[in-house]
Formats: sequence, structure tokens, C-alpha cells
Amino acid sequence: MPKDDDDVLRTAAQCRHYAMCKIDYLGTGLCPPGKKYHYVSYYPQGRMDLYAALAEDLIPVTEGLVRIAETCTLCGICDLQCHFVTGLRPLRVMKALKDRVGDFLKGGGKPASVAPDAPLRRLQGIVGADWATNDPAVLVTYANDPFPLAGMKMPRYVVLPGSRDEVAAVVRLANELGLPYAVRGNGGSVFGFVFSEGMVLDMQRMRRISVDKDNWSASVGPGVTSFELQQEAFRHGLRVNAAEPAATVCGNIVCTGTFSAWSHAYGTAADGFIDMEFVDSRGEVFPLNDKKAPNVYAFENAVIPAPGICTEALVKLQPTTEDEDGLLVPFWDFDQAVALARELGRRRIGLAVAVMGIHYIANFMSPSKDLAGRLKDVLPETLGIRYAVFAIGDRFAREAIHKLAAAVIDSDLLRTLTLGLPRLLDPEWQDLVKGFEAGRPPYEILCRPEMRPLLEAVLRPSPETFAGAVEEDLRKPYAELYSQPRFTDMTWLNMFRILSSRMSRRKHMFAFLVYVPLDRHDVINHINSEFDRIAQAHGIDHDFGFLTPMDLGKRAILEYDYYIDHTDPAEREKIRRAMLEIGPWLDGLAERTKGVTFLKYVFSQGCSRKENFLYR
Amino acid sequence: MILLTGGTGFLGAHIAAHLIDRKERILLLARSRQGVSAAARVGRLLDWFGLPADLRGKVEVIEGCLERPGFGLEPGAPTPLSGEIDEIVHCASNTSFAERKRVELEAVNLGGLGHVLDLAERSGCRRFHLISTAYVAGLTPGHCAEELVRPSAFTNVYEETKCRAEWLAVERCSRAGIRLSIYRPSIVYGHSETGRSLLFNALYYPVRTALFLKNLYERDIRERGGKKAGEMGVRIEADGWTTMPIRIRAEDEGGLNVIPVDFFVRAFEAIREAVGEGGVFHIVSSQPTRIEDIIDYGQTLFRIRGFSACPAQEMEAKPRNALEKVFETYLEAYEPYIRDRRVFGTEKSGPVLESRGIRCPGLTIDIFKKCLDYAVQCGWGARLYGE
Repeated sequence: MPKDDDDVLRTAAQCRHYAMCKIDYLGTGLCPPGKKYHYVSYYPQGRMDLYAALAEDLIPVTEGLVRIAETCTLCGICDLQCHFVTGLRPLRVMKALKDRVGDFLKGGGKPASVAPDAPLRRLQGIVGADWATNDPAVLVTYANDPFPLAGMKMPRYVVLPGSRDEVAAVVRLANELGLPYAVRGNGGSVFGFVFSEGMVLDMQRMRRISVDKDNWSASVGPGVTSFELQQEAFRHGLRVNAAEPAATVCGNIVCTGTFSAWSHAYGTAADGFIDMEFVDSRGEVFPLNDKKAPNVYAFENAVIPAPGICTEALVKLQPTTEDEDGLLVPFWDFDQAVALARELGRRRIGLAVAVMGIHYIANFMSPSKDLAGRLKDVLPETLGIRYAVFAIGDRFAREAIHKLAAAVIDSDLLRTLTLGLPRLLDPEWQDLVKGFEAGRPPYEILCRPEMRPLLEAVLRPSPETFAGAVEEDLRKPYAELYSQPRFTDMTWLNMFRILSSRMSRRKHMFAFLVYVPLDRHDVINHINSEFDRIAQAHGIDHDFGFLTPMDLGKRAILEYDYYIDHTDPAEREKIRRAMLEIGPWLDGLAERTKGVTFLKYVFSQGCSRKENFLYR
Repeated sequence: MILLTGGTGFLGAHIAAHLIDRKERILLLARSRQGVSAAARVGRLLDWFGLPADLRGKVEVIEGCLERPGFGLEPGAPTPLSGEIDEIVHCASNTSFAERKRVELEAVNLGGLGHVLDLAERSGCRRFHLISTAYVAGLTPGHCAEELVRPSAFTNVYEETKCRAEWLAVERCSRAGIRLSIYRPSIVYGHSETGRSLLFNALYYPVRTALFLKNLYERDIRERGGKKAGEMGVRIEADGWTTMPIRIRAEDEGGLNVIPVDFFVRAFEAIREAVGEGGVFHIVSSQPTRIEDIIDYGQTLFRIRGFSACPAQEMEAKPRNALEKVFETYLEAYEPYIRDRRVFGTEKSGPVLESRGIRCPGLTIDIFKKCLDYAVQCGWGARLYGE
């Protein structure tokens, strides 16, 4: 394979399957064929998989593949979108896929046609001919994820139902045929749990959102993403507790219960919704708010199946105020950061609160992997920042935090630092900043209001300065994006969480989430140090992720992240071995420590009352 | 055989170069950094000193980590450290003032020292030279004698760990029958004749800051209309000089005790040679330099005016701008050193140096110019090795 093809293939193999190309999170438009045909195969994510599958001879050129390749107009929307979060440039993969299929056809190749079998014909009878397929080019894009511990599972069919009744009918048919199935909310699952050798149901077509302002609720279909729901809430001056933007709302609730920095005020799991509707394993429909419904509010500390396929969720909408804004309180010491987060919980200050590690801060702020890597060194070494308590609150909350904290990076300062980031990393400036240091960390000095004019002069923050850190051809679009205030607005960014996928820009992220007792620093530190120890023992890149207080600071959710190159078998093996240690250790810890629950056991029990897993 | 630690640091490198020049056989314990091996780092330094190749044969570099027992070397594996070591010169030190780095400071300044003392005990070492600092005196006022001290408080964690290190060395060396010499330099800057230096912090920092700001606002004036410069009252005068109206709080007498590195090396060697039984020795200047003089030198050298010493009361009358805040922050951090009215006694070191005609030169504008010219030429250390 020529070198160019090697590079293209490497890009294709690095797709993280975060489905960010399936939402218009930059306001630059959505991949046109994806929007029209709904199958993930028509989105850049699917095309990346298809290119890799063709290169590995996993599939022939099929009629479906020809259609997929031909519908791509090479408009380039995906290039900016994907670069923004992953640093990848998928456009050349899109082009290579078109070229490869084009060359095949020009060379007289005849695309393979897979005839529908009897089950497919019956599925098409339920959902329509366009929305059920057995074309390998579609199937292969539903067969694999970067999750390193699961192999590829090629389904026989992919089905996109359009309504609750179609879902119920498909489930009944699957039962009749003995056909196993899996449900994928947005056609992607970063944990790799959602594959089937039978049928994959992609809920992408069921995208209805209906806001009932009088009841502070929004009814959402299972294909609606968190981003889309938040957009709708935002239009009404409201907010929801949002998952990652490309995650479907229903899928996320069922899977883990929605948690985020906003869980500080909005809670998690059953706190997030008013009612949900399911199709159970027999194909029967039931709402949760029904005395005869299964008790999904209960929690069992075990891996158990989901209550069914969620076909609608009635999600809580939250009020907002016009004076909301964000801030960061920097820290060198982790315990001090945790103590502040707990204090904000106990005192009910703020709406969104989280302790973040420097990997998060560096990646959220940086437009490129390289800059993020440098910032990650500079934050602790030069500025004395290893952690930051991030908070969103109204002016009363922010005033309170200013009184509680030694130094605060408010939204204006963060905007200055972000838009001037390339110059913040200038070695000479760093040397000077280091020289400030004596008894107090340099960030305390930089946060002083009287230092702003100097910072402005040194950093010369602007969208153009910021965009200078990316490849030349992307500088103009980046500058245009960052000319929009929302791209540096902490509240907007954290409502829509469009930066969260940047965590995996360098390598695929493997997140471990644990509910912890927030008043037990010893337990929290033990968990961090044990994750650290295990990662080091196996040679895995790792970092503390975040910690968010919950339920008035009594509990918190802690994320610790491992990073691996999921395309490298040796790295996959490392994580497999690490997992053998992590599972039993966390199980043992949870057994003897009140307030510790491994999120693994909340999977599929996301509708539970949080009290049932926080206070076992 | 002499073992020297911290040979890639400022003082350690100068002592190493001096010992090599004297054709001593030395072992240098050093670590790799940023992908550059210990041997390569040492080689680079020896090039910087211009040491001829024939002298370098007497130098052996051991790549190890001071903070780890046995320097992280494989236990039992034969290394040059297994042989006989006559003297150890321990220069390695973490010089950060940052309290947040306490763990690292303790690991190097105490833990590291402990590991070197372990080696001293088992290697038959007869003399141990500990490079300390005059500022182990902490907040002790008045006369600071050349003796072990236990100050009630310190300015920063660096002083504290260095003081504890002295006590640790005394205890361990006396138990093992090793003669201990403790050298306490004040603040060391570049070579008084050549201006060359490997480190550009304490003395250099305020000048570097002034120059940085001057360049920053000159660019603003020349390239962007000078709005930011105007906000700070910075302007370029008709004669090409730049005015930067920056008030610096001036309330106390006292000064900065600075010594050039060549004086330090000569003093170290003289004491090492002359006082075999060991002891505590200050290597300091008898003429502290006022910060105002340093700023004056800097203004003259870099064609800046506008810095003014201002009594505290006047400072409070008008809010400080960002530039004043920068300098004030620096002054806060270094206050005890800048406005130092203490006298560091030289009852023991003085006669030794005097008998050899070794005197610390005062920091004149000529010396200052040489040092600053070199600092600028090498990008304040960024282009030390020609990169």
C-alpha cells in the first residue's frame, strides 16, 4: 500500500466513534448524506470504518457501498468538525473511499448485491424497505468500536425503526425468529457493549422533541442527542442536565443515568426525568409512571440487563438566570480542591461544579494536541496549577466563591488565556512567570485584576492568535469559530459539552467512574493512587479526570482515565491486564466502604433513584 | 577520586570544571533530562567551559537519580561508585522557593543528601563538602556566624531544607568520622571577568523583566499603535530611550549580597585546601548591592528611564499598575534578600581568603554589563549551547 494510503488508513483506524460528526455542534452544518439516510454508514464515522474495512478485505464493494461513496460530496464539513475534537482530518479518508470505489467501478468491477432473506423482508415490512438492510457495507459500520476488550461482531441486519409501534413489532419478530438484538442510540458505543450477531436497532430516525414549558419537561425520542435537546431547551431559556453531546438522551439515561458537572444541582439517574416509556423484551409497551410497571427505581449492585428499549423520555427542564457565568479556582493541592468542591456542595453554591485535572483543562483550552500537551506541562510547572474547581453560578454564587477562594480565574480571564494560549506558552514569558513564585503559586498573581492589562499586552488574545496554533488551512475557520462568544463562554460550553471529546484527542480514553463519599479524602486519595499504581505497573498513560459533588456534597462521582492507542494490540493487552486488577480491587473497596459504588454496576440501571446506589 | 553531585547545575558545573582543570580524577553523578543522557549533558557543559579533550579523560559520568536509594543503580552491579572515593563534593540541590514543591525539595535536599551520605559511609570517604547557602540563617537578624544554626523561622522552604541538610550532614559525618566542610555562598551570579553564567535568576530577574516589558511595549508602539503601552504610560522618547513609569517601593536600607561565580570557585578551593578539618564557611560579599543600583545599571544598559524608588506611603496613595505589581511581586518574594541588613560573619573563611589574596569584587556597572550582555546574547540561557 502506498504511503499516502497508509496515512489515510491510519486516520481511518483512529476514529473514536464519538459520533460528533452526527451533530451540528459547530453550527457549520451536518454531513448532508448522513442527515438524509440516517445510517451511520453515511456519516464520516461510518465512512472511516468502511475505508478501514475495505483495506482489510473485510467486505467486498457492495451496491450499498457504492451508494454511500457516491453520496459524499466532499463538502469538507467533517474536516473542521472532527479536527475540533479529535485533531483528525477525515476529508482525505472520504476522498480515498470515493476514489477507491470509483476506481473499482472504472475497472469494470461489479458491486456485490446481497439478496434480502425472509427475516429481512419481514423487518422491511415493519419499518419500510429503506430502513432495514443486510448490506455488508452497512453492517460493518455497526460491528465494532474502539473499545479494546471486545472483538468485532458482524450483525445480520441493521434496522432503523421510526416509531414506538415499529420497535415493539421488531422486538416481537425478533422473539419469534430467535434473533438476538442490540440497541444503539446514536449508532455508536464507545464502550463496545452494544453489538449483536443478530440485529442492531439504530434509533436515529426517532428524533422527536417536544417541550412542555408549563410542565418543565421535554419529551424526547430515542434518537435525540443531548446536544439537540440542550439546543431546544436553550431556545426556551431553559437547560437540561446533559450527557456528552452526541450521546442520545434516552440511551444515556438508561445506560448510566445522566451525570455531569451539573449533577451538583440537578442530581443524576432518576433525578433527571419525569417519566420514560419502554418496549420490554416481549414487545409490550410500558411507561415507568404506571403502578404495574417494573420497579426500575430500585438498584441492585450487579450487572443486570436494561428494562427494555426506551422509546420516549420525559426529561426535566431546569430554569436559568441571566447572570450565570463560569469560573475556575486553581489549586496545586488536590485535597484543597476537593475540600472547596465539597464546601460548594454543602453550602448549595453554584449550579455546576467539578474538580478537574490538568489533562482536562489543557485539552478543553487547546485547539491542538500539541498545544494541549505543552499546556499540560506548563500549568503545573509554570503556573502552579494541577487542579481547578470549575463552577457555574449566578452572581451570588460567584461572589461567594470569590470569598472562599484565594484566586479565581473568571470567565474574562479564561477567555484571555484561551485566545492568547499560543503566547501563554512562550518560553520567555514562562520564565518570567516562574520568577514570580515564592510562597504563593504564580497563578495567584496572574489572577489579580491589576495584572489583566499586562496579560492582555503579552498574550494579545484574539481568535486569530488562537487559530495560529492549528494547521494553516484551518486557521480561518478556527478564527471564525472563536469569534463567536459561545466558543469561550464557560456556561455555554459546559451546557453543550462540545469539548468533552477532546479528552481522547491524543489517545482513546478508557474512563473509570466511581461514586465516592466526598467527606472521605482518604478513600478518594486511595482510589486515585491505586488507579495511578495500576496504570504505572502496566505502562498505561493515565490521569485523574474529574470529580463532581452530588447530593449536597455528601457524595461525588470521580472519573479516572486511562489512555491507550486502541489500534495497537500491545496496548489493548495492557488494558486487559489492568482490568483484571481493577475489578476485584474496586469490588472489595465498595464492599467495605460506604458510599463507594463502581459505575459498572449502574450500567443499565440508570433509571434508579440515586439514593439507592449512593447510600447502600 | 572525588565524587561530585549536581555537576550539571550552576555551582556544581563550575566546581567540576575547576577540578578537571586541576587534573583531579572525578566521578560526576548526573541524571538524563528531556531525552539527553547524563554523559551528553556533562559533555555539553565541558564544551561550554572550553575544557580540552585531554583533560576530560579523568572524568567519569554516572547516570543516576539522587532521590532513589543507591541512586537507582542496580544493586550489586559494579560501577565506579563501588571503588574508593576520597572526597565527595555535594552540590546537587533543588533551589525552588515554592512551598508547593516541598516534597520535591525534601526529596532532593534531604533525601538525596541522605543517599550520598550512605555512599560516603560505605566508600571510605574521608572528606565531605556540602554546598549550602548563607540563607540557612532564615529570619535570623543581625550577625550570622559561621556556625550551625537553628533559626525559629525561614523565608521559604529552600532555606529550611538546606538548614536541615546541614544538620543531617553534621550528624551523619560525625558518626562516620568523616570531616565535613559546609560552604555557604550568598547569591551567585556570572563570571566577573567574562560575564558568562549558566543561570539567570535572582540578580538577573528584575532586569530581564524590565527588558521584556520594554520590548513588549515598544513592539506595541511600533506595530500596533501603542494603545497598551499608553495605558501603562510607556513611551519611546525622541532620544530613543524608553520611559516606563514604574515606582518601586523603597523603605529600608540594606542590599543584595551577591558574589560572582569565579570568586565562589576560588573561595571554595582555597577553603578546601586550607581547612582540612572542616567547618562552616560563608562565601559572601562584604559590600551588598542595593536593588536601586541594579535597576539603575539595567536602565543605563538598556536605555530605559522612569523607574523610581518610592516610599511606601506614597505607593499607597496611588493604585499600582500591572507593571508595578510585577516588580512588587518580585520584590515581595526576594525582599529578605534584597533588603538584607544582616552581616554574614567571615571569621573563619575571611582569613583563609585574605591569606590567598582572594577578594569578592563589588558589583560594578562594568561587571554588570558583561554579565547582562552575556545573558542577552545567550537568550537568558535558552541558547547556552548554541541551539
